[in-house]
Amino acid sequence: MNGPIRYVATVLLVAFAVLIGMAGYRQVVAADDYRDDPRNLRVAAGRTGRERGTIITSDGEIVAASEANPDDPLGFRRTYPHGDLYSHVVGYATLLFGSTGLEGSHSADLVSDRDATISGVITAILGGDLRPSGLRLTIDHALQTVAREALGDQRGAIVALDPATGAVLAMVSTPGFDPNELLGPTAATAGEALQSDPSEPLLNRATAATYAPGSTFKVITTAAALQSGVASSGTEYPDTAELELPGSTATISNFDGGVCTTGTSVSLADAFTRSCNTIFGMVGMQVGAEDLVGAAEGFGFNLEPPLDLPTAPSMIPDADSFEFDLPAVAQSAIGQRDVRATPLEMALVAAAVANGGEIMEPFLIEEVFNADGIVERTTEPVVWRRAISPATAATLTDLMERVVTAGSGRRAAVPGVRLAGKTGTAEVPDGAPHAWFIGFGPVGSDDVPQIAIAVLVESGGDVGESASGGTVAAPIAKALFAEFFGVTE
Amino acid sequence: MTRDAEAALLVAAAMLAAMGVALVNFAGGTGFDAQVALTFLVFLVAFGVVNGALRRWAPEGNPYLFPIAAFLTAIGFTEIYRLDHHLASLQRWSLLVAGVITASVLFLLRNEGVIALRRFRYLFLAAAVALLLLPLLPETWALRGATVGGSRLWVRLEMPFGERALSFQPGEIAKIFLVVFLASYLADRHLAMAATAHRIGPFRFPELRRIGPILVAAAASFAVLTYQRDLGASLLLFTLFVTMIYVATGRAVYLFTGGLLAVGGGIAAYQLFDHVQRRVFSLLHPFDDFTGAGYQIAQSLFAMGSGSLTGSGLGLGRPDLIPAASTDFVFAAVAEEMGFAGSVAVLAGFALLLAAGFGIALRARDVFRKFFAAGLTIALGVQAILILAGVLRLFPVTGITLPFMSYGGSSLLANFILVALLVRVSHGERS
Repeated sequence: MNGPIRYVATVLLVAFAVLIGMAGYRQVVAADDYRDDPRNLRVAAGRTGRERGTIITSDGEIVAASEANPDDPLGFRRTYPHGDLYSHVVGYATLLFGSTGLEGSHSADLVSDRDATISGVITAILGGDLRPSGLRLTIDHALQTVAREALGDQRGAIVALDPATGAVLAMVSTPGFDPNELLGPTAATAGEALQSDPSEPLLNRATAATYAPGSTFKVITTAAALQSGVASSGTEYPDTAELELPGSTATISNFDGGVCTTGTSVSLADAFTRSCNTIFGMVGMQVGAEDLVGAAEGFGFNLEPPLDLPTAPSMIPDADSFEFDLPAVAQSAIGQRDVRATPLEMALVAAAVANGGEIMEPFLIEEVFNADGIVERTTEPVVWRRAISPATAATLTDLMERVVTAGSGRRAAVPGVRLAGKTGTAEVPDGAPHAWFIGFGPVGSDDVPQIAIAVLVESGGDVGESASGGTVAAPIAKALFAEFFGVTE
Repeated sequence: MTRDAEAALLVAAAMLAAMGVALVNFAGGTGFDAQVALTFLVFLVAFGVVNGALRRWAPEGNPYLFPIAAFLTAIGFTEIYRLDHHLASLQRWSLLVAGVITASVLFLLRNEGVIALRRFRYLFLAAAVALLLLPLLPETWALRGATVGGSRLWVRLEMPFGERALSFQPGEIAKIFLVVFLASYLADRHLAMAATAHRIGPFRFPELRRIGPILVAAAASFAVLTYQRDLGASLLLFTLFVTMIYVATGRAVYLFTGGLLAVGGGIAAYQLFDHVQRRVFSLLHPFDDFTGAGYQIAQSLFAMGSGSLTGSGLGLGRPDLIPAASTDFVFAAVAEEMGFAGSVAVLAGFALLLAAGFGIALRARDVFRKFFAAGLTIALGVQAILILAGVLRLFPVTGITLPFMSYGGSSLLANFILVALLVRVSHGERS
């Protein structure tokens, strides 16, 4: 009888050995993962009271700083001097809601090591610097301010970047929020109000929300046609007011319901300038699903662009799923149907054309500097993808310049600067259309483009049903170009 | 002599509790206050009464069990005090009551020892069943069942005066009653149940009808699972039944059958009950439903990870973020504030208690006391392992208390009595 008791005793005691082993795993081996999990409020509780590094823009404006907390002589308080202007880029570091934006993704740089951890003590003994580092953003405060003001009360997003390096020059998503409200005594109610707000102010529309790209997608359709050789800018197409889609009762018509130009025949270049849906439906079917999807993926569709912020992939369905569905091919070619893109992705599309076909990895941090202001690290530009050949890029640049000089994007034109662009008016079921503009400049044989922009205004913005990319989004782009190139009228 | 050593260790445990309270006070900006003194006093009185009773009625009993229990109680109490001063003062009252009732149990068994219990085996069985059914009492009665955290494990007695209701978990006491019944039942039947009736290759099987009790146990456990909606109590009962039958017969076939039934019952429970599914899901993917089913276990992991090797220090962590930190998840709270060091101390305490309990069973000379001691130890060990494995994310979380450490009067009382009975068994060996 003692035998079974011994066995049972052994099993239970072994169970305790396993429990001790598991406690060791949870508390020693895997401890750091649990401790540093952003959802672990202890982290935030421990860190928000500590000094965090300063975040400044490329032109030296302070956008996040730590100041001495009057209520706690040893603690610090985070402030965001520009309210909602950087709400999605810089984000927040809070006790109640964790941290987001660069405050979250660059916590390791921004957080002071001056705590009671063993490694902190050892670092201090060895003469290491325990003060937090700061971040210098690539964002230009003046441009960011103009972008924010241009969007006003409209919901939307703007991304501006340097096509040659990928440095983000402005990134705005509206509506935003004031991160300072998430820090004070009323943080809990403010946070809950933001989380339940139907206009989703916490959502970074610039990188994490996708929209039908509408006619801005014609840049990709044209690139596919040019790259695969099925058309050139001079290729002529029959000019009809309505494109009947084979095997379907659906049709594609132009924005104003009429023919594209004269009603007889129209070149690809003219169709691009005037953004004629009928012609691009035909071009799309001519190119075919496989090359269309291939071109879109070349520009970065179906991938998450690398960035220090959460990004959503822009989407186009698998070619296999619709290659024999010609209406779907035609509608995808004009940026409708199941095609979806983030404003960031469309800015990268413009940047690809501007940069001779190469897309650089977008980045937000120019440099990390230590507490003495000495630069510790700088971001080196890296090629992300080669989307199209330099020749295709040159042709597209010509086409896009005509959009701004003589086409649907005239309202983006800035005197004295040669610009290229493309408008988009994305139809939305049961709602006002999304207005798009993507573009870059300066163009010309002697110039290297310095800025690429994507502007998105959700649901027609202030204009509503009758909005179009040319009327709503292009003027916003103009404001940015004017600021960037220092043009005053 | 042995009782003097025990008394010294009990005083040390009382000091540990008092020092713990003082440390919590320091972290909160205060210092030595009435709470420290009161805690020291209550521990001294509660365990003093027990020690006095043991001196008189079980002088030769094992002197190490109560000091270990007192050590675990002190650690648990400190953490409860850190989480909620009000709960701590209620727990102090429970401690006093538990001490007095434990002494009374020793008094009742003063002449015959635990053998006296054997005569009333069916009374204990009936009482155990009644206790297990008590939570089913309608919620409108003065003595009524209550659902807490989705499990119907509680009974509330509406007091004739004041607002407060007296709550208790009858399952805790029922556990001991069942061990009494099983030990005496098996003491009579173990030879018949172990007799070989069939032989297939190297396997020896008893008569088929001898498997009957296991089936009854499985059905009863499943019934408990169904109406109490709690995995822990059900598993504890079933494991206790099966293991005790195995201990009594030495026939692995009982373990095997029990294991099969447990697996079958587990699968059936998973299919039938969404609360079981939730528990399993939160075990496998605690972070997938972070704000829902996985919240508690995720918070437990955060707490343990944040505690790391040496802990945040008493009063300096955030164990208040863990749901049910003072009851089921008290181990996670201790692990956060006292670190892996504290975890090992607690786990080692339980392991020592089990080792001592099994030692008593091994040395017991008659089968009833042998089975009784083994059963009590198994009940204590399995209960601790189930909830600890849940907290450590090795097993689905079960709503049972961690003996001695969790907040709760019924749990404290039942486990005090359990240890007292073990000590009383060991007393018989020396005389």
